[in-house]
Amino acid sequence: MTNYLLRRSGQMVLTLFLIVTLAFFLVQAQPGDYAAFYSLNPDIPAEAREQIKASFGLDKPLWQQYLIHMKNTLTGNFGVSFGHYPRPVIEVLAERLPRTIVLFLSATAVSFYLGFFLGKAIAWRRGGVLEYAATISGATLFTAFTPAFALMMIWIFAFKLGWLPVGKFLDPLIWRGAEVTANHVFSYMLATAAAFVVFAFLTLLVARKSGRFATGRLPFLIIAAGAVAIPVAWAFTGIGYLALDILRHMILPIATLTLISFAGTMLLTRNSMLETMREDYVMAARAKGLPEKVVRDRHAARNALLPVITSLVYSLIFAIDGSVIIEGVFSWPGTGMTLLQAVRSEDLPLVMGAMVFIGLFSLLAHVIVDVLYVYLDPRIRYQ
Amino acid sequence: MTMTTADNQPLLKVVDLSLSYLTRQGPVPAVQSVSFELGRGQSLGLVGESGCGKTSVANCLMRLLPDNGRLTSGQVLLEGQDLLPMSEEEIRRFRWRRMAMVFQAAMNALDPVYRVGQQVVEAIEAHGIEETTAQARQRVARLFRMVGLDPQLMDRYPHEFSGGMRQRAVIAMALACDPAVIISDEPTTALDVIVQDRILRELKGVQRELSMGMIYITHDIGAVAEVTDRVGVMYAGRLVELGDTVDVLHAPMHPYTAALMSSFPSISGEKKALGTLPGEPPNLVNLPTGCPFHPRCAHATEECRREFPPQAQRGSQWAACWHPLNGAQESEQS
Ligand SMILES: Nc1ncnc2c1ncn2[C@@H]1O[C@H](COP(=O)(O)OP(=O)(O)OP(=O)(O)O)[C@@H](O)[C@H]1O
Ligand code: SF4
Ligand SMILES: [Mg+2]
Repeated sequence: MTNYLLRRSGQMVLTLFLIVTLAFFLVQAQPGDYAAFYSLNPDIPAEAREQIKASFGLDKPLWQQYLIHMKNTLTGNFGVSFGHYPRPVIEVLAERLPRTIVLFLSATAVSFYLGFFLGKAIAWRRGGVLEYAATISGATLFTAFTPAFALMMIWIFAFKLGWLPVGKFLDPLIWRGAEVTANHVFSYMLATAAAFVVFAFLTLLVARKSGRFATGRLPFLIIAAGAVAIPVAWAFTGIGYLALDILRHMILPIATLTLISFAGTMLLTRNSMLETMREDYVMAARAKGLPEKVVRDRHAARNALLPVITSLVYSLIFAIDGSVIIEGVFSWPGTGMTLLQAVRSEDLPLVMGAMVFIGLFSLLAHVIVDVLYVYLDPRIRYQ
Repeated sequence: MTMTTADNQPLLKVVDLSLSYLTRQGPVPAVQSVSFELGRGQSLGLVGESGCGKTSVANCLMRLLPDNGRLTSGQVLLEGQDLLPMSEEEIRRFRWRRMAMVFQAAMNALDPVYRVGQQVVEAIEAHGIEETTAQARQRVARLFRMVGLDPQLMDRYPHEFSGGMRQRAVIAMALACDPAVIISDEPTTALDVIVQDRILRELKGVQRELSMGMIYITHDIGAVAEVTDRVGVMYAGRLVELGDTVDVLHAPMHPYTAALMSSFPSISGEKKALGTLPGEPPNLVNLPTGCPFHPRCAHATEECRREFPPQAQRGSQWAACWHPLNGAQESEQS
């Protein structure tokens, strides 16, 4: 296990090195001189220009620039953004990355859960109406052209029905006169979500360790109580309405990302389920007189989960891709949209920084999935 | 040595059981009019070539049928109660509690992602045999000791077990709820001979000690001689001979049984699998008329080809044959 993690970390460092290198040379390969972009940018005052030139070694040969770039990346110095001058790249990204992560983690979690749930159900009861409905709609959405589908969602839910905002992160009219910044509110929201996850996890853990068979619904009631307590607590803080505004802006992009990606998980779960349902241990579980739901969830689905988790890596990459497009369409100011804008306005330091960060993020996601898999499959855990 | 219960009701009574699998080629009659009885503390063997329907009979008893399996007739009376008309929920409570199974592929009967002990606890929990997890675990420890496993192994995963250990764990699992009947479907085929022998003896010991009824399905005549009191011989979905093990092995009445024996050098000697008979078992979708064994039978006559034979009786032994071997006392239409 430790060995495995060490090896994985080694691979990760190597991959990261490749990403940073690739980002550097991709930007270098742009038409036009990298150094000239800095020195000719009218937004940057002359004295700052010299300083930048020196710190990035722009007057030096390429290989030295590369080494300096490496060193700067490792110390988190991505330079100053042209577009957001004089804010350093790292600061812009630190603001935007959490927004992407939230969007993307929620969408992945929801679509994974939905896909797994549906896939499990349609495998268990084959040939039902649900199977046809879920498979056809899932496959249609899966193959739909993402931007067109996103625009259609906006058209239906924002314009026609007017239920949700069209896009962006917040509604300026609501925030006028607010005492706190959006970033503050957002980080409180993040902290709340994280605390809730830990709370739910601990509750389930304690329930399991308590040793009575019939713990039944109690842990779920406790978790539900926690879920109710959160909005109540926020209502008392006085900034609850601001958080609500951000939440409302999140719904449509998350729903869109979920809809275009759940089918992959669903179909895979279905196939994997059909395999495990034939296994002897599922037959044994039924022979033991376990309730059908337990046979399905604890045995058939639990084993069917393993290959689905492996594929989660690919659906994560799919979702990262998707998030660039989705953020663009919904004007969600996260890393994806930042990258898109930076490319358009030739904000090269920001492009490079965003690429490195997105790479780092996918790498981390990859490692998390790996660890999850090891945790879920005792055959690997104890090798 | 037939045994019946004190109140003269057999522990398990199977009457005219028939099962078909629906397939594209048509219905496959895998079990046809099978009837037998099993007394308390008694052990009944079921033997026959591969594909003759032994596992299908076992699955009918547990009512664990694949989606395409259809019970077409029969009763399975356990302590006088018919299992076949029961609702799903009733049969679920019944399974494992009263009748448990040691699977043919015991290697795969353990779920790879859970600890072995946990999988036994799960059965205990589902039937409310013990109050708390701690008590259930103590029970598992007792069961492990009974089948010769170190109780500390209960927190290991199946992949950490050897084949023999898994087999023992699966037997411990079958004993978890004190069942009245235990069905062992070729419990030792995947193991090497020495381990097979030891586990077989332990299984027999446990069955005697707990005075359970056991149905023992196998290809192995040696095992039949060792662990069963009575034995039934199956051919093409039918029970063709049934009697006390000693009688059937020493004086078979059905030519098929005799052929099985002769392809098997010495009963007490080295072990060998059945099924080295010349010819092939018939295709169940397209069975021969009359006696299904007639294409392979040296004694076949015209009436064998025309009509299914009646039961020929000799003491507590019978065979479905027109021309039984070793002297039948009488012949009666079945
Ligand atoms: N689900 C199914 N659908 C169709 N046919 C089946 C199905 N299960 C079993 N059969 C057929 O039914 C017959 C009896 O099978 P069964 O598994 O009961 O035999 P068996 O005596 O246990 O054989 P073995 O000694 O190989 O275990 C075989 O011909 C088999 O091909
Ligand atoms: S009935 Fe006829 S064919 Fe069938 S086993 Fe007896 S003798 Fe052979
Ligand atoms: Mg079988």
